[in-house]
Amino acid sequence: MPSYASFLIRRLFQSFLIVVGIVIINFVVLNIPPGDMADVMAGTAGGGDPGYADALREEFGLDEPITIQFVNYMTSLLRLDLGYSFTRNMPVMQAIMDRLGATLLLMSTAILLAFVLGVLMGMIAGKNAGKPLDAVISVLALIGYATPLFWLGLLLILLFTINLGWLPSGGMKTIGMRGPWWQQWLDIGEHLILPAFTLAVFYLAIFARLMRSSVIEVAGQDFVRTARAKGMTEGRVYLRHVTANAMLPVLTMLGLQIGGMLGGSVVVETIFSWPGLGRMTYDAIFARDVNLLLGVLFMSSVCVVVTNLLVDLLYSWIDPRIGLNG
Amino acid sequence: MTDAAVTVATETPLRRRKRPRAVFISGIAMLALIALAALTAGLFWPAGPWVAAGEPYTPPMTAPGLPLGTDVLGRDVAAMLAYGARVSMLIGIASTLAAAILGIVIGATAGYARGWVDDALMRFTEVFQTIPSFMFVIVLVVIFTPTIATITLAIAVVSWPPVARLVRAEFLSLSSREFVQSCRLIGMHPARIVFAEILPNCFSSVIVVSSVMVATAVLVEAGLSFLGLGDPNTASWGGMVANGKAVIRSSPYLSIIPGFAIFVLVLCINVVGEGLNDRLNPRMRN
Amino acid sequence: MEINRRLFTLGLGSAVAWPALGGLTTAAYAQSPVMGGTLRIILSEPVGLVSAVSSQGPIAQISPKIFDGLVEYDLDMNPQPQMATSVEMSDDAQTMTVVLREGLTWHDGEPITSADVAFSAMEVWSQFHPRGRSTYAALTEVETPDELTAIFKFSKPSAFVMNALNASEAQVVPKHIYEGTDILTNPNNLAPVGSGPFKFVEWQQGEYILLEKNENYWKEDEPYLDQIVVLLIADSASRAIAFEAQEVEAAGAIPVSLADARRLEELPFIEIPESGYEAYGNNNFMEVNVRREYLADPKVRQAILHALDREAMIKNVYFEFGKVATGPVPSTISTYYTADVPTYEFDTEKAISLLEEAGFTPDGSGVRLNLTLDPLPYGPIYPTVAASIKQQLAVVGIEVTIRSADAATYYQRVYGEGNDFDLTITGASALTDPTIGVQRFFWSKNIIAGVPFSNASGYADPEMDEILESAAAEPDPAKRIELFHKFQVKAATDLPILPINDMPYFAVKNTRLQNSEVSPYGFGGSFSTAYLAE
Repeated sequence: MPSYASFLIRRLFQSFLIVVGIVIINFVVLNIPPGDMADVMAGTAGGGDPGYADALREEFGLDEPITIQFVNYMTSLLRLDLGYSFTRNMPVMQAIMDRLGATLLLMSTAILLAFVLGVLMGMIAGKNAGKPLDAVISVLALIGYATPLFWLGLLLILLFTINLGWLPSGGMKTIGMRGPWWQQWLDIGEHLILPAFTLAVFYLAIFARLMRSSVIEVAGQDFVRTARAKGMTEGRVYLRHVTANAMLPVLTMLGLQIGGMLGGSVVVETIFSWPGLGRMTYDAIFARDVNLLLGVLFMSSVCVVVTNLLVDLLYSWIDPRIGLNG
Repeated sequence: MTDAAVTVATETPLRRRKRPRAVFISGIAMLALIALAALTAGLFWPAGPWVAAGEPYTPPMTAPGLPLGTDVLGRDVAAMLAYGARVSMLIGIASTLAAAILGIVIGATAGYARGWVDDALMRFTEVFQTIPSFMFVIVLVVIFTPTIATITLAIAVVSWPPVARLVRAEFLSLSSREFVQSCRLIGMHPARIVFAEILPNCFSSVIVVSSVMVATAVLVEAGLSFLGLGDPNTASWGGMVANGKAVIRSSPYLSIIPGFAIFVLVLCINVVGEGLNDRLNPRMRN
Repeated sequence: MEINRRLFTLGLGSAVAWPALGGLTTAAYAQSPVMGGTLRIILSEPVGLVSAVSSQGPIAQISPKIFDGLVEYDLDMNPQPQMATSVEMSDDAQTMTVVLREGLTWHDGEPITSADVAFSAMEVWSQFHPRGRSTYAALTEVETPDELTAIFKFSKPSAFVMNALNASEAQVVPKHIYEGTDILTNPNNLAPVGSGPFKFVEWQQGEYILLEKNENYWKEDEPYLDQIVVLLIADSASRAIAFEAQEVEAAGAIPVSLADARRLEELPFIEIPESGYEAYGNNNFMEVNVRREYLADPKVRQAILHALDREAMIKNVYFEFGKVATGPVPSTISTYYTADVPTYEFDTEKAISLLEEAGFTPDGSGVRLNLTLDPLPYGPIYPTVAASIKQQLAVVGIEVTIRSADAATYYQRVYGEGNDFDLTITGASALTDPTIGVQRFFWSKNIIAGVPFSNASGYADPEMDEILESAAAEPDPAKRIELFHKFQVKAATDLPILPINDMPYFAVKNTRLQNSEVSPYGFGGSFSTAYLAE
């Protein structure tokens, strides 16, 4: 069995290659089409004179040949310098950090919600496979799996904000709210419910389905039968043996889902005016802010890679029988 | 999203229970109905969806001949829905086809060649699996301007990795099987081994994966159109929801109806996909 | 004070100055103001807070609250003293003398001197401000004989500079903070030390910007408000909900969807002010690429306009905002506007016969002409208008393909080398004078590849150039009006640009907010006299 260290080093190196590959692909793609950020800035400025866009290009180094720009970008990236965002008027790192918190809060809540509820629902369905309860949960999961994110968000706003008036329709905090910390947190929580639920539903459905089949599979395995034969109660069998093992594929899936969820957050943040990365990224694409986009995509891929790494480690911790080679 | 869907479809050994046949059949029937609506839209609304059919914002069931009402420009929502089905289905199928071909080529090459080619191709695949897919699709569509073709290709570009991995895995396991070994022994041309012997054996799993990819592609296209990144010259369901969003208080039907259409289509594709999985997935044929 | 400000713009050869009198129009004080309170306004996230380096829309709305201009303009466009107590232009319009108010300080306590003015003009406006680069192109130096006097020297007559001395056009920035730094990336652009009635406190990216009362403001008792919270809400539906819940008092520059604006207006506590956007002269139009062989014949352009039911578009797409435009000069610029021009009523028969005359006959599927249409990629309204145009032109046999694109691609297609477009539905601000805001689209010398909002249609007509150039140079206001009337007739006859509608750049506000429309820049004012009624 290879040691943790060599495993980590190998995986880190692979991850590094992947991230570099992503940066290269994005750099190339973003520089293919005609037009650049200076055009957009001259446009939003209402025109300007012929020299204005050129002056901006010179200022931002966009007048350099593309190969030089690429080399410049990669060398500063090695120093973890993501460059300067000219549409946000600040270093890319700062622009990302300013928004990262909100996105992380939204995503982690959604993941937690999806994971806990999904695993729970999958457990119940798997344990009652073939019974009415299983059918109900399976149908719910099927529905959650087919509902477009943005449509669900609109329906929830229609119901909970417009018709019932129970929950705020958007934003992260009540405007101008000044109160003790717990009141502030409560306020954020209230704003978080609809977007987090909207983002969670699709993944909840995936986790529930996966957990269900995984439970069925594990429950039929020899070591579970042995436990039963030893006279363990059914509840304990599920709690001690089935759950942990059945959760493994769900964990893998969780790692794979981070990237997809980032995409979903673009839509959710748009609908609910959540002040996170997603919306900023969307605007950056339209403004052709290449540095900011590259920065966001770089950070997201790092995020995905790190999560996958964590999942692998968690995996071997839950089930030491699984080697680190896999 | 793609990965999730594929994993659920392929790695879910539901040995205990096949889903009822009736559900599978009704899924197919419903899909056929939507396809029929898409194909015959031209017969019912020969002038296309882009004509004023009545007063703008006519609610459903209030004007004769306009069962689903009209939108902001007085267009018939029913006509938009039928023509929108074309776009959703076309993009869903075409992008999946493109992704499947790309995935098969890359997976087969990696699985057959092995060695450093395999290594390189698998790293390449991982790169595309790691890029946040929906974000990347948005980037591609914005950068290359939204048309049916660019949307289709952008979705294909982020959807192929699971197919490639699957095909590679099948190749690795199949090429060590006896029948492939014996083909090699009798000196069969490698191309023939690949095309006549190994590939046909992968098809059932590729079809199972693809059916779910279609559903994902439909959702992605709808999401793009909702963000205003659909082809502006076609009626699309996601775009209809986005247009309705501005008037969701006064005319909620304009967002509810097309959203429901997306939901039904995706649901049917999933049901059919699962049915196919039950019937075709090699792991389930005992 | 009675001097018509526009005379300055035209380079009238006489010395022009205005006396140092304080205060705005007395009408603004009809009600006694309420002191204190927090005003909550909505804005799209700006890229910075300093207008001196950018003319971006959201900045122009917030920056004048943090920075004073040399002057401010009243509703009739007369300059009012702000930082400067007098501004005097010489007879030859090549020397402008600015005298600053005594005792002004920056928000950090440093004194404001003529050196700040000189630095801002030479190092900032003429280098980095998109319009300032041309407005101050002829500026050679700024002399500072004493702490309060700045003398601007121009290499050629530049009387129109008198037109651009307010906080969003010529913003004086602190020299001690900018000198020797990279001006575009100076941190002060995000957290400015200003000079205006409100001080910058903090900016939570994506959430809010907080401004508080400047206790040391030079105007006694002003500002009235204690705080301004600027909420950065991008989504227009969320904005509407915030208005409804009275979580916010005001927002400018068409802040919500047109449908929501009409709905909100019905609420007893919401109003859409009738004024406060005159200086923007916002209008929508369709530019036609007349270089294209199939669009060169004016009959085709006339046919397109005849095929469009613009009344219906205003009713359904624009929710009754604005009115059908007759030409490139919006009716809000009443001094120069004329309705006495050729008009093109909605008449599909006529459109078809014009197309026939121009030689466009239908093919097998009834299509006479295939055209592309590029909507300006800002906001949801242009795509909808484009869809409406596509729908209407199909009726007369013109098959339109809408091409959506991001901003960079759009500018390259329409304004870039090669002008790769047929039609574009776009909008622009005519500003306060046709020479500044409208001429750019019709003047053949403004066909410049790579410059957004230049003459994209490729329309070049010697007679038109002659009219525009003499109007720009004409000192006599009456003759100038006559020339602009001639211009409008010519523009409506040749139709390189198809007028669609004049669109008010309206604000939405809670009726509690008073005194917010005291200049034609409306929400781009300083708000020093704005207050919240009980």
